[in-house]
Amino acid sequence: MNITEDMVKEIILEVLQEMQKEGRAAAVQKPEAPALRFREVGEAKPGTNRNEVVVGISPAFGISMNKTIIDIPLQSVLKEVLAGIEEEGLKSRLIRVIRTADVGFIAHEAAKLSGSGIGIGIQSRGTSVIHQKDLAPLQNLELFSQAPLVELETFRAMGRNAAKYAKGEQPSPVPVRNDPMARPRYQGLAALIHNKETQFVKPDMPSVELTVAM
Amino acid sequence: MARRQKRFEVLEQRPIHKDGFIKEWVEVGLVAMDSPNDPAAGIKIQGGKVVELDGKRREDFDMIDYWIADHYIDTAVAEEAMGLDSLKFARMLVDIDVPRCEIIRLSVGMTPAKILEVLKKLNVVELMMAMQKLRPRRTPSNQAHVTNLKDTPALLAADAAEAAYRGFSEVETTVGVVRYAPMNALSITLGSQVGRPGVIAQCAVEEALELAMGMRGLTHYAETVSVYGTEQVFIDGDDTPWSKAFLASAYASRGLKMRYTSGTGSEVQMGYAEGKSMLYLEIRCVMVTKAAGVQGLQNGSISCIGVPGAVPAGIRAVLAENVATVLTDLEVASGNDQTFTHSSIRNTARMLMQFLPGTDLIFSGYSSVPNYDNMFAGSTHDCDDYDDYLVLQRDLQIDGGLRPVTEEKVIEVRNRAARALQAVFEELSLPPVTDEEVEAATYAHGSKDMPDRNVPEDLRAIDEMMKRGTTALDIVRALAKHGFRQEAETMLNMLKQKISGDYLHTSAIFDENMHVISAVNDANDYQGPGTGYRLEGARWDILKDIPMAIDPEDI
Amino acid sequence: MAQKEMNLSPELIAEAVKRVMASMVDSKVQPAAPVSGGGSARPDARKDYPLALKHPDRVRSASGKKLDEVTLDKVLAGQIGFDDVKISPETLEFQAGIAESVGRPRLAANMRRAAEMTRIPDERILEMYNALRPYRSTRQELLDMAAELETKYGARVCSALVREAAEIYEKRGRLKR
Repeated sequence: MNITEDMVKEIILEVLQEMQKEGRAAAVQKPEAPALRFREVGEAKPGTNRNEVVVGISPAFGISMNKTIIDIPLQSVLKEVLAGIEEEGLKSRLIRVIRTADVGFIAHEAAKLSGSGIGIGIQSRGTSVIHQKDLAPLQNLELFSQAPLVELETFRAMGRNAAKYAKGEQPSPVPVRNDPMARPRYQGLAALIHNKETQFVKPDMPSVELTVAM
Repeated sequence: MARRQKRFEVLEQRPIHKDGFIKEWVEVGLVAMDSPNDPAAGIKIQGGKVVELDGKRREDFDMIDYWIADHYIDTAVAEEAMGLDSLKFARMLVDIDVPRCEIIRLSVGMTPAKILEVLKKLNVVELMMAMQKLRPRRTPSNQAHVTNLKDTPALLAADAAEAAYRGFSEVETTVGVVRYAPMNALSITLGSQVGRPGVIAQCAVEEALELAMGMRGLTHYAETVSVYGTEQVFIDGDDTPWSKAFLASAYASRGLKMRYTSGTGSEVQMGYAEGKSMLYLEIRCVMVTKAAGVQGLQNGSISCIGVPGAVPAGIRAVLAENVATVLTDLEVASGNDQTFTHSSIRNTARMLMQFLPGTDLIFSGYSSVPNYDNMFAGSTHDCDDYDDYLVLQRDLQIDGGLRPVTEEKVIEVRNRAARALQAVFEELSLPPVTDEEVEAATYAHGSKDMPDRNVPEDLRAIDEMMKRGTTALDIVRALAKHGFRQEAETMLNMLKQKISGDYLHTSAIFDENMHVISAVNDANDYQGPGTGYRLEGARWDILKDIPMAIDPEDI
Repeated sequence: MAQKEMNLSPELIAEAVKRVMASMVDSKVQPAAPVSGGGSARPDARKDYPLALKHPDRVRSASGKKLDEVTLDKVLAGQIGFDDVKISPETLEFQAGIAESVGRPRLAANMRRAAEMTRIPDERILEMYNALRPYRSTRQELLDMAAELETKYGARVCSALVREAAEIYEKRGRLKR
């Protein structure tokens, strides 16, 4: 059998396309992320423990949504953040903010309830903020604004840094990733997800404290 | 399919296939300019007061309705303007025999739904014609982004200097790490004056911090003062029309120019568009701005461009929102400032909408740094596109604000800016800018070519500098003390511009002699061929002379 | 047009000009400044703008310094402070007049609020701005702020803006909870 250059090209193309199809299929049939099992402990109250960091999650986090925009299971997200805090020897407290889905306000609420004055806010799609209670709501200590670039390691580092701020240290900020091409690919989708999230907002509901089974 | 068609296989490989497209979802407002939930235009006035706006009675007004009804609408012309047939007014926008002033006179009598009705009647070519006639300043111009991934100051200064030297009349920075803001501001404010005296600088951060830096003279103007088209999103943005108007006046009270920022898609992006089209909500933002007495607006979707970009007619809506801005006599800084596509064809097509007619600031801004360093998450065009851009200007004989440069001169201004910054850091007891950093910044493509700095040390020093109350006058002194007398003079002259307040007027920028050019002394007088801004004479000679062109004499 | 005006009283002219200006939006067709009618001249964009070029002698900083007094040598000698490079309320009022003369009454109104704010220290302005943000203040706190603006700083236009905010925030449930 004579194999011509054209045939080689064709075969390579075919293989590549097969591989791509698989890739695309994987993207469409996203793996099911495990559901989070929360228990509500009651209305979230200001803490007095100076060794705590409060983690605030958004209204639909783990309820209607179980994965970030790049399909990281929200269970893993929480696990990493809490582990990061623990790694620095601090305690964490988990709350759900219901009156807003804005990540700045969620983080600020967490910070205001935190005994150390340091809080973290996380939206379902992955957008996150480390906040300090004395700052304006839309200021922040660290902002992870591009959800498609917030990866599992980032969440752990986020927990670590929040704990360091709580201890009065000045840590090096978690390196910010920047991918100009995230917007064209994900922004429309992000808007879609966020509109689903805001359907869970209840403007008059106070935040609730949660425990979570990992 | 048993077998793929080969052309389709090739098409799938094209960059455009990486872009995200979404079908309209009208219930939440994921629709560009035509939602069934958009209200019908209408107004009722009783005793000089607007009692009904676009079908909503006064008792049902939200904050934005109140603000527009009481501060935007001129009840003296409302009846006449609302009585005009929308198609007729749409034709007036493109009719060269109808002067700009007549459009402006009527615009303040119109409601958001009325202007939406009018703009929907124009196709993109007509929208460009309207832009050409209606932008407030006769001379078009351009703005640059100057940022980097490391917030490294010597590079910021060098990049600002190059951007200014290449012709941008405004430079804008922002931060990777928020607490770097004052140092970034200082770096580009100084750098830009080394590149070309009279360029104005801003640092986009949270509103109160941005004002605090402006008050100390670390910046010359502000732009990131965001407004939104629904009340809930305005509140989530932590402001109201009243707090924003107060802020606007606060800037003017310190002699600082400012414009608001808004853009299609922000409301749906933040989850509360109330089912209205993106353009309808954006027209409300335009009116909120005008009503506050703010001279201009940055719009063109801006950081939300992926949202209108994903739905049908989204890019037409983006041009239409720019036109809504100028038809209410506001300066427009017209976007083109965020990556929104993987396709270079689509990218350029989107940019031509503002480039061809010319706007007050065609980009807001153009990335003067490689896009990987662009902390606004990338612009449509970056420093690697400079030569393409210069050729587009030359091909079409259009002034897009940039001029050809030589490598020698760029190296010179970059180096001088970095050295000037080094001197200022020494004098202000900031962690030193090393000779190695100066050298790297001079020749760098981006922050990958820069050594790392000690970030916690920088941040501590910045906090101390802010506590000490350092102002731009300290920078002037530092420059003069270290032999940068020319730069010290220039920085001082920029401070003096705040005393006269000339650049508080609509569409104000400065020329290279530091003379103000605005919609007051350079008002757009376009009325068809032979009028308005024309790229000719000395300016054309400069722009067409690209180094890439072969000189017949040389052959 | 100028000759006709000569026969009119200054008050009448001022009134007429005010009316014309309120409805004017054309920067090209400007009414003749009523200088001939006596009294103080209204700013005229064509003759008076830019101020720094046309009337540098008339510009004074907030502290009363003339433009040509602010020199590098004086800065280096420590004779110029930051207050010497701040805009004065008079200049803002003049620029407001320029804005009106080119048909921009809303911009002029903003400049007039700004003129009032020149008297308020940086810190207090930032606090007031923050107090106007949603859910920061009670109705009474806003009214107190309005009173402070009016009595302490003579800032009547700003005060009215804050009062209006108090009313609307109450209607819309945006006061401190």
